[in-house]
Amino acid sequence: MLDIAAISKRFGTRQALADVTFTVRPGEVFGFVGSNGAGKTTTMRIVLGVLTADAGEVRWKGTAVDADLRRRIGYMPEQRGLYPKMKVGEQLRYLARLHGLTQSAAAASVQRWTDRLGIAGRAGDEVQKLSLGNQQRVQLCAALVHDPEVLVLDEPFSGLDPTAVEVMSGVLRDKADAGVPVIFSSHQLELVERLCDRIGIIATGRMVAVGSVEELRERAGAAAVLEVFGPGPGWAADLTGVDVLAVDDGGRTRLRIAPDVDDQDVLRAALAAGPVHEFRRWRPPLTELYRDVVQAGPEPQEIPA
Amino acid sequence: MTTPLSTSQAVVLVARREFVTQVRSRSFVIGLVITLVLFGGLFLLGAWISGQSSSHTLGVTAGAAGLEPGLQQAAQSQGAQLTLHEVDDATGRAQVESGDLDAVLTGAPGAYQLIGLDSVGDNLRSIVDAAVQQQTLTAELNAAGVDPSGLADRSNVVVETLQPGDPDSGQRLAVAIVGTVLLFFSLSGYGSLVATGVVEEKQSRVVELLLATIRPWQLLAGKILGLGTVGLLQLVILSAICGAGASAAGLLTVPGAAVGMFVMVVLWYLLGFFLYASLYAAVGSTVSRQEELQSVVAPMIFLLLIPFVLTLNLLPSDPRNGVATVLSFIPFFSQTVMPARYALGVASLWEVLVAAGLALLAIVVVVRIAGRIYQNSVLRTGARVSLREALKTR
Repeated sequence: MLDIAAISKRFGTRQALADVTFTVRPGEVFGFVGSNGAGKTTTMRIVLGVLTADAGEVRWKGTAVDADLRRRIGYMPEQRGLYPKMKVGEQLRYLARLHGLTQSAAAASVQRWTDRLGIAGRAGDEVQKLSLGNQQRVQLCAALVHDPEVLVLDEPFSGLDPTAVEVMSGVLRDKADAGVPVIFSSHQLELVERLCDRIGIIATGRMVAVGSVEELRERAGAAAVLEVFGPGPGWAADLTGVDVLAVDDGGRTRLRIAPDVDDQDVLRAALAAGPVHEFRRWRPPLTELYRDVVQAGPEPQEIPA
Repeated sequence: MTTPLSTSQAVVLVARREFVTQVRSRSFVIGLVITLVLFGGLFLLGAWISGQSSSHTLGVTAGAAGLEPGLQQAAQSQGAQLTLHEVDDATGRAQVESGDLDAVLTGAPGAYQLIGLDSVGDNLRSIVDAAVQQQTLTAELNAAGVDPSGLADRSNVVVETLQPGDPDSGQRLAVAIVGTVLLFFSLSGYGSLVATGVVEEKQSRVVELLLATIRPWQLLAGKILGLGTVGLLQLVILSAICGAGASAAGLLTVPGAAVGMFVMVVLWYLLGFFLYASLYAAVGSTVSRQEELQSVVAPMIFLLLIPFVLTLNLLPSDPRNGVATVLSFIPFFSQTVMPARYALGVASLWEVLVAAGLALLAIVVVVRIAGRIYQNSVLRTGARVSLREALKTR
């Protein structure tokens, strides 16, 4: 378990993080979403020890993360960081050795990961001569070469072409399946929804929602929302315990039912009003859940200097 | 599977990367070649200029021919080279016109005339003046019945020095100057490389990746050691080439002084480098882009330039200059002034050791402060980090 336990961080007068708490389990891909400046990068930097938290701590398997543990974390910073004039292979071997691999182990690992990510042919080229997408693959290699126990990736998918996105997704899934907790941030919510086991939403330095997409839907009350396609408008207006949310001319009705209402009664009422072609629980995409959660999130608090 | 790095392993890994990257870079080889060409060029230029000003061609007409031995003697005593051509007045003037002769001497004893193109060089004029005066004086003395050589003996001043004179002082000066120049270029060159390297890591953000694995001071120490070694390598190569070249050309006949200076240069390079490199790293870490680096590094170059200029201007004519003596003990200045004073033979070994001890003390203090600035600034991108913020303890 990677526990991010109540971390707070202040930059000058701005409270960047307030009491941020969540857990990433081994074998799970955790998506970290939030608008720009919400605190994703700051959180990840604190996990890596690149920044120090004002309060709270990061624990891995129950013990506070120290320098020795951090060495076993794979990290991809938001701002891609590689020596532009150093050759790909040489650079990756150097980073692997800084993580404590022996010379031969470093060479073998670099070979394995550059093969896997399709950049083995560029090992002798300077990083700056590679396309941005390929530089990103090198950056991912840098996070993986020391076979980390935890993966922390800040926006690994930004700027990647669809093929590279597939390769990257595959790698993250494989690492998670091997028992590594994988946490990554992204603004591509469809991708997050598809790839992640659990999701954390952060807004203005506070966690506003954590859980699987299904859990987030439930929390948003989506389980009590039905979508019915068939009968014309007006059929549900008089039902008790039913709140009509939206009706369109094409015969689509969205309604919220009270907890004590049986959805089968609603179905019968709909059938009585006309043919029913579709009757289902409404499943809002993450994009909508995110929007609602962030809008409803806590107001930013000004902290006096 | 992975084992934690010890501090020394981390520092060595970083230092090795710096060293290998730098030595393999084109700029290292180019830098060496440029420095050699500059040195060689300066040397040749100097030789050519001094040759130009001390060799003269003078036309002498038949009436003035009696002055020839006197002219040669005067030229010799002034350390100049004089070539005499016997000409008649008209061709002499023509040759002055065409530039074949520097001047032509016509007339007869008592009424000599020195004819130049638009002027006659001071050097040549004083040779002629001396010869004419000598001739006139000798003639007058003979006429008065006085023996000129006896007069010369009686009017001689004997020069005596409290300390034995140094016949090799010229060479010592040359060795001191070469050493000073080498030191200056090594310190300013490799010091600013440290700053550039720090900014490169900051600008490319690779520092964030590095600091997720090693501590800031390990990275800083590795960088300074790695680049310092490259600078030392270059210094040794250049010194060897200079020494070998000068010996081969017969210019260096006091190898002892040269070797002594070399040891001094290496010692003071190391002292000066750690002092300046940690400062360079500290100021480098406060900016985020190479473009901003120039303005913060400028004061440091100025600091290096002061003792360099002082040494080159004061010491050759006045090795015991008071200001230079004081500066040679003050850290930040001593690394340039003290080795030159030692090479000139005006500083004894204990003075060097005292100055080195002071420099070491300064290093201990400066490295601590610089390390703190570096740690506090290296991850902060964007606006330049103010010195007050950078010094804040966390």
